[in-house]
Amino acid sequence: MNFPERSALRVALRPLSLCLLLQASLLALPATAQEPIVQMQPALERAEELLQSGSYLAAIELFQRVDGLDEEAGLLGLSKALAQTGEYERAIEALEDAISDYAASARLATQLAELKRATGQSAEALQILEAVVTGNTTPPVRALVQYGSLLQYTGRRDEARVQLEAAIGRYDAGLVFDAEEIAMVAQASWLLDRFHDANSLFTEAVRLDAQNLEAQVLWGDLFMEKFNVVDAEQSYNAALEINRRYTPALVGQAKISGGERSLAFALDVNPNDVAALETMATLLAMNDRAEEAVEYVERALEVNPESLKSLSILAAQAALHERFDEFAELEARVNAFSPGNARFYGDLADAFGNAYRFTEAVGYAGQAVAADPNYWQGHTLLGTNLIRLGQEEEGRVALELAFDNDPFNVMTSNMLKVFDTLEEYATLRTEHFEVRMSQRDARVLWPYMAPLLEESWATLTAKYGFEPEAPVLVEVFERTDDFAVRSVGLPDIGPLVGICFGKVVTLISPQTLDANWQEILWHELVHVFTLQMTNNRMPRWLSEGISVWEEREARPEWGRRHGMELVRAAQQNKLLPVSNLNAGFTGADSNEDLGFAYFQSYLVVDYISQEYGFDKLIELIKQYALIKEESAMFETVFAMSIDDFDAGFRAWVDRRVQEINVYVHTEDAADEGAAHGHGQRENSSAVMAELYNNASLKQHMRQRVQDQPRDFQAHLQLGIVLFKEEAFDEAKVHLQIAHDILPDYSGYPSPSLVLSQIYEREGNQAARLEQLRIMLQNQQHDDDSTVLLATAALESGDLESARYYMDRALAITPYRLDVHRIGAEIARRQNDPHMAVRELEVLVDLDVNDPVEARTDLAEAYLANGQAPEARRNILNALEIAPSYLRAQQVLLQAVDATQ
Amino acid sequence: MMHAMRRSFRRKLARGLTLGLSVLATSALAQSGDQEDVWFRGGPEAARHALIITGAAASDEIRARFSQWSNALHDVLARDYGYSSDTITLLLDDGSTAGTNPRVDGSSRREDIEAAVNRLQQTLAAGDQLTIVMIGHGSSSDAAAKFNIVGPDITGAEFATLLAAFRQQDLVVINTTSGSFEFSAALAAPGRVILSATRTRAERYDPMFARYLIEALDARTGDRDKNGRVSVLEAWTFASQSVQGWYSEQGRLPTERSVIDDNGDGNFSLEPSASAGDGSLAEIAYFDNHSAGPQKSSPEARALLAEMQELERAIFLLRGQKANYLEEDYWTRMETLLIDLARKTGRYHELP
Repeated sequence: MNFPERSALRVALRPLSLCLLLQASLLALPATAQEPIVQMQPALERAEELLQSGSYLAAIELFQRVDGLDEEAGLLGLSKALAQTGEYERAIEALEDAISDYAASARLATQLAELKRATGQSAEALQILEAVVTGNTTPPVRALVQYGSLLQYTGRRDEARVQLEAAIGRYDAGLVFDAEEIAMVAQASWLLDRFHDANSLFTEAVRLDAQNLEAQVLWGDLFMEKFNVVDAEQSYNAALEINRRYTPALVGQAKISGGERSLAFALDVNPNDVAALETMATLLAMNDRAEEAVEYVERALEVNPESLKSLSILAAQAALHERFDEFAELEARVNAFSPGNARFYGDLADAFGNAYRFTEAVGYAGQAVAADPNYWQGHTLLGTNLIRLGQEEEGRVALELAFDNDPFNVMTSNMLKVFDTLEEYATLRTEHFEVRMSQRDARVLWPYMAPLLEESWATLTAKYGFEPEAPVLVEVFERTDDFAVRSVGLPDIGPLVGICFGKVVTLISPQTLDANWQEILWHELVHVFTLQMTNNRMPRWLSEGISVWEEREARPEWGRRHGMELVRAAQQNKLLPVSNLNAGFTGADSNEDLGFAYFQSYLVVDYISQEYGFDKLIELIKQYALIKEESAMFETVFAMSIDDFDAGFRAWVDRRVQEINVYVHTEDAADEGAAHGHGQRENSSAVMAELYNNASLKQHMRQRVQDQPRDFQAHLQLGIVLFKEEAFDEAKVHLQIAHDILPDYSGYPSPSLVLSQIYEREGNQAARLEQLRIMLQNQQHDDDSTVLLATAALESGDLESARYYMDRALAITPYRLDVHRIGAEIARRQNDPHMAVRELEVLVDLDVNDPVEARTDLAEAYLANGQAPEARRNILNALEIAPSYLRAQQVLLQAVDATQ
Repeated sequence: MMHAMRRSFRRKLARGLTLGLSVLATSALAQSGDQEDVWFRGGPEAARHALIITGAAASDEIRARFSQWSNALHDVLARDYGYSSDTITLLLDDGSTAGTNPRVDGSSRREDIEAAVNRLQQTLAAGDQLTIVMIGHGSSSDAAAKFNIVGPDITGAEFATLLAAFRQQDLVVINTTSGSFEFSAALAAPGRVILSATRTRAERYDPMFARYLIEALDARTGDRDKNGRVSVLEAWTFASQSVQGWYSEQGRLPTERSVIDDNGDGNFSLEPSASAGDGSLAEIAYFDNHSAGPQKSSPEARALLAEMQELERAIFLLRGQKANYLEEDYWTRMETLLIDLARKTGRYHELP
């Protein structure tokens, strides 16, 4: 190895040093210029302050001025400051210039080795550290830990353990005092899977010196590895409060928030920060911006050709697109410097899991744990992905193994806690489905879910000519947290209410949902088909588009009606090209954007179905099972380029916008929806008009309808204001116009709803009910109106309508007592004992206030349905509470007679 | 002791107690152990009085709500439970509506409360039942638990002193106010049934309990065991479950959980039942007197009635011992008794 002469560097630096000395002394000047200078701050101390606070360039200049007894510390600081700005080569040069003997300059040599490792020179780094460790009787703790870490990285685990144990032994012997070294001992413990010790040591390090940025960030990284985001964020923030330009903390923060801002700032500070480049690439890859991701990865690899993360990102892309040669090349490249690296395969498993390719994810996770059975996150990845394939027991075993050895991993413990919840759940089956749900849902929801599941199976298998692998596992969670953890491992999942993994569907129970559970279930079951038809390779936009399209196919009142949003998007030219529809999902900044992404995807599917026929849609789905460019798929199916297809779609949308023919005023906000597009959409302007109607609003809306007669919002708001003023006749006119402009408007409040309220006030019950009927043709979330119509139909003897509206209410909530009372009454009148039993069984569960009556009714229904033993059991429950209740006594005797 | 109580029970039967009451009396008897069996045994001759005290309200809206509840309770007691304006005393807010609302007897000022209590003390005979319902706001602090009446508030300890005179009467106190727990705890004593709408000092928001208590009484909706009467325990069960349902429907965390003490130990129970520490008195404390049904004249009917009553007693004894049986054994025994009772009841109704 060639070491330049140290004196030459020093000579070259001297003139600059004088200048900086002056500058440093000036910095130390007291506030009053007249006062004499009594003391100058030493350059090293000042430089370290500047480094600590993130003034890297100033620090670099000042460190270069340090000499004498502080020379080594100055060089160390200089190399660190240079590294913070990405000038790794300069940092390395400075150190190499200064070091003549690695063992003698142990601290500098250790720093040099760390820089070599960071720039892809792990073999040299290893040599340097070996020299430091073997050349000193008591090498620095940092050198031991860095050496051990590198040995472990290169697959020499036994040798690594010796070094790491030596570092820990030093601490145990009471020979480690300062925060930096304690943090290093913490890292040694971490590398040896002693997570509890590592956490305690980081606590001690930070308590000793809360200003130690490295300790704070390493501690944060430990938390991040365990998915403990809250504590990780605290550590990163603590570091950033001291130095807001400290890039390792900025990167940590970006990993938590998923935001590009911190990363962009980090790359401003250090354009060569490999972790920042890789994190940016990961975010881009997750957002389907693979090409940009690759650019960042290539930049990272230029800095550090041995970066495991960068190579794993590239390898994942190659494997996902089945470029097997490229993958093999990348795998060999990793094996060259880190043979059998478990994390490499872990990263691949993670990438495949994120892409819904769970079978492959399980394969890579298996490879990871085979390479290193102590790679506990690998076991967690294995377990998580097995569960997503429906292999719950195998998944649980893997997770328990991970938890036993790494109980700090929040994802692992969360997933296992959900298993505890599931143990309390009922497991129910139909021919093609296995369903887990709470005991209460098993009694109340299941009677209505079971037939819907099989209906979906029959409908969709016939329609798509495809039979998915059965049984499909459906899990219905009462607690949103359980749903989120089961779905993504962590409790925060945003507005999602159902997820399909291909063979497994997770849902939030209607108990904790304010949306039509049947539509959600159907939507997710369609995903089962489209994902399995393409081996989970279907892009999100098409999968969602088909699922939304199938909602309306299943029930006319289901699906999304975003006519105004479509017109608005067309006006604002917000429609995305078909080739980039996934960006609508990945780049959505709000729920509204996300909702529109679903709607636009639905429109493309509707366009294909209407203009090319459903068979073409099937053909397109099948294309996604193949590995080829999306543009080529469109060429194959539609015999045109994707751009031409897009042009046709745009023309079709334009025609649709013309047909809708509604004026959308720029001052009106879009309706706000809940439950990820499945819930009620609220028209905030109309709600405001309902709450705060006033003369000026009325006048303004009158002007608007005069200017634009097809201004739906203005007519609606005017109608509401007039209704509140009890000017019913005029209100009706505007509300009727609003309805005629957008007859399928499904937001709240709708013109029909307000009209029904007017008729109610006028005492015109028939007209009121008629408006509610009109509203419910497009509105699927109003259970009060469905119950009202069911009751009215029952009263008028129209049992068919009563049953229809009862079913509509059940689709929203099966937990309403009155719905089941209506059902029981319909059953009684239709002499349908089977239905009576179904409704009364649910009533027994729901009617806590009158259990005796409910059980007596149910026992009677059982008798009528030929279920005498069940009748006998139930009536005993009633009579236990009310032994002298005559009706129940009679039922008991009938049940006894029937069972003898 | 048990033998003596049984004799006492038979005496009551002889006085014409009917089926439902006898059954519940049996149950209480079975649970009462060594306690003196004197409370809530009033026959048809025992008078029942109600004292409704509605305190000061924090706003007009709340005042209207309290007033509506108070009037409704007054009307339900009068309509469905045999009370009259003579046996219901309603002390409403500042009493200013007394001239226009015939139900109102005075204000919730301390002097009116004391006067009403003194009057009742003079009126009620031994064995009569007094039900006190408190509607309004309450508060609780380290210093004292208070019921917010018009003028200086009244503390639980002060109210307990007022009630001390009712030693010979059956006393039911239903405190539906916010922060009612500690006030109610001060009233606990043997032989009293005390209901509190809240179970801790922290539950300081206005409870919904009163609304559902009235709903339980209205048209005897809370009659869980279908004996045609509503016991205090049944009314509590209905109201308590309805309150929880209301909070669940609203998507809110419950800020009230009602509790009962009826064994006088001041340890209120969240889940009272005839077989638990609290609940046995509340189960036999009814809001009304039992009106005897038409009497059968045939000797066979009388004999059958005695057998039916024995069977009911056996059923309640078995139910009280449910935890001591294997489930299958329990239900086999229960079914045998219930079938027997059903057959005998059928036969009884056929007899003259």
